[in-house]
Amino acid sequence: MIASSTASNIPLLLVLAISIVIGLLMVIVFRYTSDQKAIGRAKDKLKAHLLAVRLFQDQLPVVMRAYGRILHGTGSYLRLACTPFLIAILPITFLIVQLDRYFGWVPLQPAQAFLVEARVEDPAALNQASLQLPPELSSSAPAVHDPKDKEVVWRVVADRIGLFDIHIAAGGQTVSKQVVVALGLARISPLRLRRNFWERMFTSGEPALADNSPVQSIAINYPPRVIGFAWMEWNWIVLFFVVSLIAGFIFKSVLGIHV
Amino acid sequence: MKLPSYRPKQSGLSLVLLLVIALVLLFPLRGEAYAGPGAGFAVLSSFWTIFVAFLYSFYALITWPIRHLLRMFRRRKAYGKAQVKRVVIVGFDGMDPELANRFMGEGKLPNLAKLRDHGTFRPLRTTFPAISPVAWSTFQTGVNPGKHNIYDFLARDLKNYLPYLSSAQISEPKRHLHIGKYSLPLGKSEVKGLRRGTPFWHWLGKAGVFCSVIRVPVTFPPERFPGVLLSGMCVPDLKGSQGTFCFCTTRVSSDKFREGGVRIPIERNGAGFHSYIPGPENPLGTGRELRAEFKLRADIKRAQARIEIDSETFAIKVGEYSDWVPVKFKAGMGFTARGICRFYLKEISPEVEVYVTPVNIDPGHPDLPISHPVTYSIYLAKLFGPYATLGLAEDTWALNEEVLDDQAFLAQCYGNHEDRERMFFDALEKTPQGLCACVFDTTDRVQHMFWRYLDKDHPAVRDVPQDQKPRVIEDLYDRMDTLIGRVMQQIDDQALLLVISDHGFKPFNRCMNLNAWLHQNGYLVLKDGKSESGDWFEDVDWSRTRAYTMGLNGLYLNIQGREREGIVEAGAKAEALKEELRSKLDGLVDPASGRVGITGMFDCDALYAGPYVDNAPDLIVGYGEGFRASWDSVMGKVTSAIFEDNLKAWSGDHCVDPRLVPGVLFSNRKIAIEKPAIVDVAPTVMKLFGLELPSYFDGKPWAVAGTGGK
Repeated sequence: MIASSTASNIPLLLVLAISIVIGLLMVIVFRYTSDQKAIGRAKDKLKAHLLAVRLFQDQLPVVMRAYGRILHGTGSYLRLACTPFLIAILPITFLIVQLDRYFGWVPLQPAQAFLVEARVEDPAALNQASLQLPPELSSSAPAVHDPKDKEVVWRVVADRIGLFDIHIAAGGQTVSKQVVVALGLARISPLRLRRNFWERMFTSGEPALADNSPVQSIAINYPPRVIGFAWMEWNWIVLFFVVSLIAGFIFKSVLGIHV
Repeated sequence: MKLPSYRPKQSGLSLVLLLVIALVLLFPLRGEAYAGPGAGFAVLSSFWTIFVAFLYSFYALITWPIRHLLRMFRRRKAYGKAQVKRVVIVGFDGMDPELANRFMGEGKLPNLAKLRDHGTFRPLRTTFPAISPVAWSTFQTGVNPGKHNIYDFLARDLKNYLPYLSSAQISEPKRHLHIGKYSLPLGKSEVKGLRRGTPFWHWLGKAGVFCSVIRVPVTFPPERFPGVLLSGMCVPDLKGSQGTFCFCTTRVSSDKFREGGVRIPIERNGAGFHSYIPGPENPLGTGRELRAEFKLRADIKRAQARIEIDSETFAIKVGEYSDWVPVKFKAGMGFTARGICRFYLKEISPEVEVYVTPVNIDPGHPDLPISHPVTYSIYLAKLFGPYATLGLAEDTWALNEEVLDDQAFLAQCYGNHEDRERMFFDALEKTPQGLCACVFDTTDRVQHMFWRYLDKDHPAVRDVPQDQKPRVIEDLYDRMDTLIGRVMQQIDDQALLLVISDHGFKPFNRCMNLNAWLHQNGYLVLKDGKSESGDWFEDVDWSRTRAYTMGLNGLYLNIQGREREGIVEAGAKAEALKEELRSKLDGLVDPASGRVGITGMFDCDALYAGPYVDNAPDLIVGYGEGFRASWDSVMGKVTSAIFEDNLKAWSGDHCVDPRLVPGVLFSNRKIAIEKPAIVDVAPTVMKLFGLELPSYFDGKPWAVAGTGGK
């Protein structure tokens, strides 16, 4: 029971640990890639203009000028924060995309039915599309064709744990897609795509389908992972964002870094 | 059920970045994390500001009608009858009318000359005595010292003949919690202002006239009024003194500074050095002084040092000041005193010497209130960075003690002055209607310390040929003229500009120890066997003493029933003694120079009227030109010599016969009065804003042209 509880908390603990480490790293990156003095000055000036609104509240022109300076100061601050932001954004984005493979979705369980959706380029190819399954997987319902969306959907169930390849034949070609059936954390790619590098970067963990493939995409409906924390259910990315932000703000105070 | 599916889109790095930023800004759900916490910091920090501004704007908007009505109701008295839209008062502490006239005559000071030609230039009668805290108190309250209670920097305690600061008293919290060796203060230190009377900006504020008041002397502790105020002269340093510098040195010396500073050893520590800055006494009652340790690493090749204090590390070159550095004095149990100071690297080889300014109250985190509202000093610190808050921030003692040289002192003065100019011009911008008053004290400090170069016979620089003496004071007046030029550019015809000073200046060549004269003439008696006395009348026999002096111009009788060991009977006998002293001292000649050392002895009963006359000296000593009380005399020391040469850098002064040192009055408008006085400023400004004058005012309003004045 205890072991089961600990196992179910592993994603939460990992997300918390990664968030805190990333929060610290981000603050350090911010420290060394930003003009700390200029950021400090910009923030001080912003605070001064805010105080001016309060101190000179009966002098309408002064208050209006202070509002203008607040907007201008905010722009200056964002400009100063832009460099570290741009420097950090690429590795962080890459890291999060990779982590999303593990934390974003829950693997399929044995005996759990799931859907396989294939989208084709030519609606005429829908009728020829067929699903070829390994022996551990079986189809539990006839295929459903949706010409309007150019999609065909199969309902499938797995007998046991494992990594399996399913094949879809259409237009004289066969393409494959990985299916993960597991109990713990596993690397999951819910989608396999054709072309479009950036879209694949963000949403797919598998090689691209061939450019001349009649199949545009194959998707598996893995259940999204929900993490319970602080009496709430969180998407891991939201939790990561909040915790890393809090950790960052704590570390920046401890390390005396202007953020 | 909707599955993740492919949607053909345009690609490109910039598009993705824009998309990510847009997601962060617009949809704080899943996309924001792709930007990471870095973006979160930026967005939260900046948008928090906008959010607060928005909230405040919303509050301001919904309360606007009510506040507008209230303001109209309050202002109907002021602006309804106001003859000017704005009054701008620029105070130059110690600007001398004779010098100003001389420089204008030489074709210098074009802006002041313009005021003279198209407006007004007159000598401005000062107070008795002509000392800044006295004169500026009269300026702000419109009354004589008998009504505002300030007669000098120092006042005497009748119980023990010891001095205390006349303008403010800082006392420990009344209640403490005793835990072991600690005594935890329950509450904050109490700061009590001793100046009485009501500054005229309080009247203006109550009537709805907005006032910005910057560094007018004797405004510490700051009082509540509807406006903003930054305190000036009399604000203490973190030690509670009026400025104690610290001179850290590897040179071994047992000499102590006479006044205003402490010598701290620098110890070698391997390849580096370490020392400390002395701070305030531990508030936890351990009786020990708090210290802020610092480390120093010398780089002789580059003639610079790297200093590490708290979490700050910075480098300074020989002959340079650091920026303002925050320092913390940790007392334990979470008690920390915060201050700011600047370091000046005097020497790096063969010895290491570092001068540290007095530790100023940090304006961004003030341990004591130095402004009203408290946020005003914080606002200025956020806007312009840290600045000197000490009342007497220009370290005249350090120059007097030759810890700083002329250049280092001037750099300090003008550094502070530039900060104050920034504050003043900000206040001018923030006060489009109402009163904007600022006092600059650079004029006073620089004239005190550099008059020796203006006076061809000054004993402190007898060896320097006249043509090699730097033109420090000419440069000072020139800078002030430039400042006035900038002010004139920023005001319109509806504004009245007053440029005033509290007193003028004279050379200070000869020191006079009046306590020594009183001793030698039998009025002050020392304990048996003593021929001199240490500081604060240490060896004075009060049971046989009839008169003594303390401070710069006050002479006191030892009155029975008033002073603790008074022996002079009040009434006729006291009057007779006063008359005797007046007749003997008035016209007293310095035998060495043959010049008159005292040109007037003024009876305070005739000078002052008001509820606080009992605290006044009995006589005010009016020293002649070139003379002043010696530092020893000021500090209650009795020496054998009465007169001696002044060899210090402090070479100009104004604590003389007030008739000799009027201040200046310049204005952009004609003012029809022959002998204006500083006491007239408050009633004049109040009248210009259409306010009724309180009946107790001693000053009379001037007739100002273009404002209904004839």
